[in-house]
Amino acid sequence: MDESTLIARVRAGDSAAERTLYDAHVDRVYRLAFRLAGDDALAQDFTQETFIRAFDRLGSFRGEAAFSTWLHTITTTVVLNGLRKVKRFRQREADIDDAHDIGVAQRHAEPDLKVRLKQAIDDLPEGYRTVFLMHDVEGYTHEEIGAVLGVETGTSKAQLSRARAKLRVALSDFAGEWVQ
Amino acid sequence: MTQEHEDPKFEQWLQDAARTTYHAPRTTPRDEMWNKIVAARRNKRVIALRPWLRWAVAAAAVLVLGIGIGRWSAHQVSEPVNGTTTAEGMRTTNEIDSLASVAYQVAATQYLSRTEAFLTSFRADANRSANTARLARQARDLLTTTQLMLDSPAGDNPRLRSLLEDLELVLMQISLLNPLQDGHDRDLITQGMNQSNVLPKLRSAIPAGPVPVRTEGAL
Repeated sequence: MDESTLIARVRAGDSAAERTLYDAHVDRVYRLAFRLAGDDALAQDFTQETFIRAFDRLGSFRGEAAFSTWLHTITTTVVLNGLRKVKRFRQREADIDDAHDIGVAQRHAEPDLKVRLKQAIDDLPEGYRTVFLMHDVEGYTHEEIGAVLGVETGTSKAQLSRARAKLRVALSDFAGEWVQ
Repeated sequence: MTQEHEDPKFEQWLQDAARTTYHAPRTTPRDEMWNKIVAARRNKRVIALRPWLRWAVAAAAVLVLGIGIGRWSAHQVSEPVNGTTTAEGMRTTNEIDSLASVAYQVAATQYLSRTEAFLTSFRADANRSANTARLARQARDLLTTTQLMLDSPAGDNPRLRSLLEDLELVLMQISLLNPLQDGHDRDLITQGMNQSNVLPKLRSAIPAGPVPVRTEGAL
């Protein structure tokens, strides 16, 4: 069964078709949510919210873009908004903690590559990080990223280039790993 | 064409390293998520069919605020200045009712959103050391509002009552966390939240969109 037929059946209220459509796309949605969120519980929450919204709004899907593009637009919106909400909440907690920690010296152990890489990616601006994870880590094309994020393909390429440049600087201590 | 600042070796190394170490996903929990999606959509449909219930929830959520507004407005209406007509008094009352309704909507949405953000953050931080005393204090604040809502007419609806009771239980457990040995307790609370689908149910009760937009809807 092709996807347009499947979508028509979902619109008609076929619950088996809903599950089939879910099964066809859930892996990619969950993977992207996990890469962006870095937490299984959050990734599951975001994936569920994505499909709930998608099924509720399927009537507004006109088929002008691929269904996967439309679905991933919802995914990135849900994930990025959700992460901003969690970040704001944590920031308020951190502000309170900072007020209590004034004068307490912080010690940092020398981190290994994995820790440094995580920190460097986490520190990227949201747009750079999203494009980097979608393209270099999850294998989306610039055309897909542009359609999903609502930006020009050139913007996606430029953001990826800047993301890589920032990561190269942040990880310069490990240059021996790739200069061989 | 390779640009001057590009380095294919670095890019390949970066991709390999990031794919294997940065937020590497586990196997997709398909059935687990599907069951929650089905449950949340079923719950959402029922609540969506009863918009008046949202008003009841909103009214209950700001019970304390509402009492304050009511007292203030009664004071204003009962003491008209010289020359104020009855029609003007009624118009003022209607305007105040309208303002109070908006206040109900804003406060109720904020309560639900705040509870969702708190529980989402709590669950995400379940394995991290955090300020237990502060979490407990925040949970107590939310617990007070939840209990006000349970005691209001909004608590008469079985489905809403079920959600509020789930929230009450979770918030009470968090409010009682022991700072000295909270690791195991946190795990139990998180397991309980997952089993009872508290967060999906809570999210289905919150209209989509940022808070200012939400207040334009039924809630």
